[in-house]
Amino acid sequence: MIIAQQKQIKEIAAMVSDCKKVALIGCAGCVTVCLSGGEKETEIMAAALRIMRKLEGNPVETITFTATRQCDPEYVEALDGVVKDADAIISLACGVGVQYLAERFDKWVVPALDTNFIGGSKVHGVWEEKCGMCGDCVLHKTGGICPIIRCSKSILNGPCGGSQYGKCEISKDVDCAWQLIYDRMKSLGKLDKLMAIQPPKDWTKSRDGGPRRAVREDVMIG
Amino acid sequence: MVGAGIAGIQASLDLAESGYYVYLVESTTAIGGTMPMLDKTFPTNDCSMCILSPKLVECGRHLNIKILTSSDVQEVAGEPGNFNVKIRQRPRFVDANKCTGCGSCSEECPIKVDDEFNQDLGKRKAIYKLYAQAYPNAYAIDKAKCLRIKNPKACGKCLKACQADAINFEMAEETIDLNVGAIVLSPGFEKFDASALFYYGYGKFPNVLTSLEFERVLSASGPFQGHMVRPYDGKEPKKIAWIQCVGSRNTKEKHGYCSSVCCMYAIKEAVIAKEHSHEPLETTIFFMDMRTFGKGFEKYYDRARDEKGVRFVRSRIYEVTEKNDESKNLIIRYSNEDGTISTEEFDMVVLSVGLQPSKSVMELGEKLGLDMNQYGFADTQKLTGVNSSKPGIYVSGAFCGPKDIPETVMQASAAAGASASLLAESRGTKVTEKEYPAEKDVSGQDPRIGVFVCHCGVNIGSVVNVPGVVEMAKGLPNVVYSGEYLYVCSQDSQNTMRQIVEENGLNRVVVASCSPRTHKPLFQETMMEAGVNRYLFEMANIRDQCSWVHQNEPDKATEKAKDLVKMMVAKSALLSPIHQPSVDVTKAAMIIGGGVSGMNSALSLADQGYKVYLVEKADSLGGIARRIKQGFRGEDVQEYLAELIDKVKANSLIELFTGTEVQDVKGFVGNFKSTLSNGAQIQHGVVIIAIGGEEYLPTEYLYGKNNRVMTQLEMEEAMTAGDSRFDQAKNIVMIQCVGSREPERGYCSRVCCTKSIKLAIKAKDKNPDANVFILYRDIRSYGFFEDMYTEARRKGVIFIRYSVEQKPLVEEAGGKLMITVTDHVLGQPVVIEADILGLAAAKLASRDNKKMNSLFKVPLNEDGFFLEAHMKLRPVDFASEGIFMAGLAHGPKNLEENISQAKAAAGRAGVILSKSKLESHGVTAVVQPDKCAACLTCVRLCPYGAPKVRNYAAEIESVLCQGCGSCAGECPNKAITLQGYNDRMYMSMVNGLCKEVL
Repeated sequence: MIIAQQKQIKEIAAMVSDCKKVALIGCAGCVTVCLSGGEKETEIMAAALRIMRKLEGNPVETITFTATRQCDPEYVEALDGVVKDADAIISLACGVGVQYLAERFDKWVVPALDTNFIGGSKVHGVWEEKCGMCGDCVLHKTGGICPIIRCSKSILNGPCGGSQYGKCEISKDVDCAWQLIYDRMKSLGKLDKLMAIQPPKDWTKSRDGGPRRAVREDVMIG
Repeated sequence: MVGAGIAGIQASLDLAESGYYVYLVESTTAIGGTMPMLDKTFPTNDCSMCILSPKLVECGRHLNIKILTSSDVQEVAGEPGNFNVKIRQRPRFVDANKCTGCGSCSEECPIKVDDEFNQDLGKRKAIYKLYAQAYPNAYAIDKAKCLRIKNPKACGKCLKACQADAINFEMAEETIDLNVGAIVLSPGFEKFDASALFYYGYGKFPNVLTSLEFERVLSASGPFQGHMVRPYDGKEPKKIAWIQCVGSRNTKEKHGYCSSVCCMYAIKEAVIAKEHSHEPLETTIFFMDMRTFGKGFEKYYDRARDEKGVRFVRSRIYEVTEKNDESKNLIIRYSNEDGTISTEEFDMVVLSVGLQPSKSVMELGEKLGLDMNQYGFADTQKLTGVNSSKPGIYVSGAFCGPKDIPETVMQASAAAGASASLLAESRGTKVTEKEYPAEKDVSGQDPRIGVFVCHCGVNIGSVVNVPGVVEMAKGLPNVVYSGEYLYVCSQDSQNTMRQIVEENGLNRVVVASCSPRTHKPLFQETMMEAGVNRYLFEMANIRDQCSWVHQNEPDKATEKAKDLVKMMVAKSALLSPIHQPSVDVTKAAMIIGGGVSGMNSALSLADQGYKVYLVEKADSLGGIARRIKQGFRGEDVQEYLAELIDKVKANSLIELFTGTEVQDVKGFVGNFKSTLSNGAQIQHGVVIIAIGGEEYLPTEYLYGKNNRVMTQLEMEEAMTAGDSRFDQAKNIVMIQCVGSREPERGYCSRVCCTKSIKLAIKAKDKNPDANVFILYRDIRSYGFFEDMYTEARRKGVIFIRYSVEQKPLVEEAGGKLMITVTDHVLGQPVVIEADILGLAAAKLASRDNKKMNSLFKVPLNEDGFFLEAHMKLRPVDFASEGIFMAGLAHGPKNLEENISQAKAAAGRAGVILSKSKLESHGVTAVVQPDKCAACLTCVRLCPYGAPKVRNYAAEIESVLCQGCGSCAGECPNKAITLQGYNDRMYMSMVNGLCKEVL
């Protein structure tokens, strides 16, 4: 899922300081699961904003709604009535949701979250990055451990000289991905596979080719 | 059930819930025993009253528990299954059924006497209630003190004050004959009379208190409202000393036993006193051995010393004297460990008094012809945990030896289990179930709310303008009835309420009176009698939270009462009926672990008439007990074990799976389905996990490197096998706390001190010429094991204390085993050439605890032992319903204690198996699946394992849900609500409250 975390309420409030009526739109997708943009967080943020503005002598009215997802046009269109009277929209979705709302509505749309990465939860309340979205998966070559995002250098023939005692030279808290890959392949009895030299990767499938599109003609309707 | 302290209450509830009718006989005027007197409880610092109170209410209102207060057992005749018991009930002079507990009588009573509940530190009236939360919630008259009882023409003020017509001076003593099948005795203990030890100055010096007095000083409900002051002058002490072992470990006073609980309560009192104090408070505990042997106790001790700054002085006290000035401070003169003498001044001295059987308790034992020990405690039959010397009579709690609350509760559940086994055939024959009319369907109806406002005698009415509140309520939306009552809770008011509900077609009721804690169940019952779902009911507390606290501001109090009523009316309009789904129960148990604990649980449940699947990993039964020769009371463990195994094998209800493990478990309480490693699939309603523990294999003291070094178990095995080295030994040394009370294993293994003493005596008896040394940190021979410690010293066993900073040094030199230890009196190193070195190695949790942890989702504590649902009051239950624990898997314990716990687990499991259907708790959480993101927050959060994600959304198993609301609060998409407590209701309450201002 996409992992995102809330900005400071002060920062969000500053973005809408001149608005009298603000719609806060949550998202029941990834950001609900990572506990940053579901209905609960949306309601709390609205209350916090109201309290802040009231204390400042500049009261604000809030409208709250949590969309099923903010990354599909149908769900966004369903918000037409909700945001109708709002001067501004605060989106509690990832960057995708913010942009979908901004595209749809001719209003001031601002983000309440910082979109961090795609990953999973380690324990409740801790999320970790696991995929670099390179567009050309190599996990079958690396024992299920992604060198693109988990190696600080994204190298394909690791480890580098900065690997010490299983840790990456950038921090003692960061595991060396290539150490993990080595250990994993060893335990699977597949160390020989690591001997193959990986050629330079085709980064055009990643960000180097500009913004990407994915098309499935077979499922396209009409 | 004789004695209604926590043991009597627990055993009564267990049995009444298992299908037996219970008479609970209590000699005072209320149930509760000692627990209500305590401020906080160790090691969790839970408020004693707060944890007990729900049990008081449950026990008090139970349809199948008949409580007989002011009652004593006179005679017992008959046999197991058919006892005739004669009870003498002293007159209370107040009809407990009519009395509403309002207290108007007590206000008027002119006689003040010392309040024994407050340890005479405060006063009560001649008409009194034992304590605020007492059940029955009714007053009683102190016959010896009442003027009118002495002279029928005198006083009578209470008669006039009582508007409920509950006082009756004509009441006389009654004799009640009961026919019962089993008897459980739990009459409790009394505190040692500290004035018997003149050198401590108790009774002479006003600033010397007993520990129980200090509990009342600390208690918010005590005579000083929880302000920690000296009763003498009301000043806050700055320096307090505790003196341990007052009336314990004192052979001169014929109190040779250790009272087991005082070390922990003294530490707790010191810690809590520091919290209460406004200025930095110095606390010092003078002790001989620190006996923090229970689960979680050692860490509590460590924290008190290292983090809270409680000072511990190992010492012997000579005397306490009073300073010759106005301060009335106290001087303690004491001997230090090295023999030097110190004196020190304190503002207050608290004597940690021991536990002893009261005279009446000893008489009870005598009357029943029970075997009592030399100190007057009841003797339990060896390796039974709860059997007295008379069949059919069981004992629990401090009656059979000093013990703390969890052990008392454990033993109570065990006694209940044993009674249920004895009376299995008559289960369900004497109990009654209340029948209610069919519930009216109110769905689709507009709210029709009735408001009942209570005067509570003068409690509310003299402060709050009740008619004004009634009038205001009439004008609220949806209210179709509003009326005032002298006591809403009285029997006639309840009848009226039922009629009014019926006549007016009310579908919501709000009672404005006192606390829902005590009265909500009563009113809800009336709702059900009127055919209305009991969750369409709300209470506004206009007494405890209004008239009582705003006595001097009647106008404002009236306004507040109105506001409280407005809020509850607003909320009640949104209430919906809650129906409690029920599930069937598979009447069988799976017990994991075929050691002594597992087998005892199995036999107890089989005797109760339930099918048992006993699963043991090893190829044979017996567990670690196979390595133990002798029990702490001299029992032949192998003989016992052989008999136990025979009984298990012979029992047709027990299906045995040896060499088998549990592979997979599905389902929940009442309906588990397990797959075993042999492929067998079994269905069962409950699980008992009794997988035992193991002995630590030391890495220290040359263990494994020198064959003279052995663990306790190995030492016992060697002695039993006739190892000649013991006969020829000149010096036998034992080292205590090997691997226990260490940073990596911060708990005390509880049994090793007694075990070493036992082995030392045995070695000495066998070879009197040998020197037997025990090198220890604290000797923890709690309870009657202290006698064995005394015996060992008499027989010449040499005890040398070592400090953790300076552990004994064990070396091999020229083929000899040399041990160097610094003697605490001499301050000099002593070198011993040991022929045998026994190591009291730590008792460890089984490695399989982790497996169970993932299989059943049951929690472990940081030491790897299972964590119970509540340290004090649910010592064998897991938080997840239907799963129980017993034996070493829960924590180190001796054989007898494990047996008691095993029976307790069986007793608790039997409560579930006795039911054909399990109902969910009324207030449970529900999921709106279309809003659920399946994020797992609820699944991870729930302590009871109730939510699961199925079909891409969370589902809450209502039978497991305890209604705590954690999931509803945390659900990131507000997909979960707690029935009867949703956001809309609370917003509506706020709107109702603020109608005028908004």
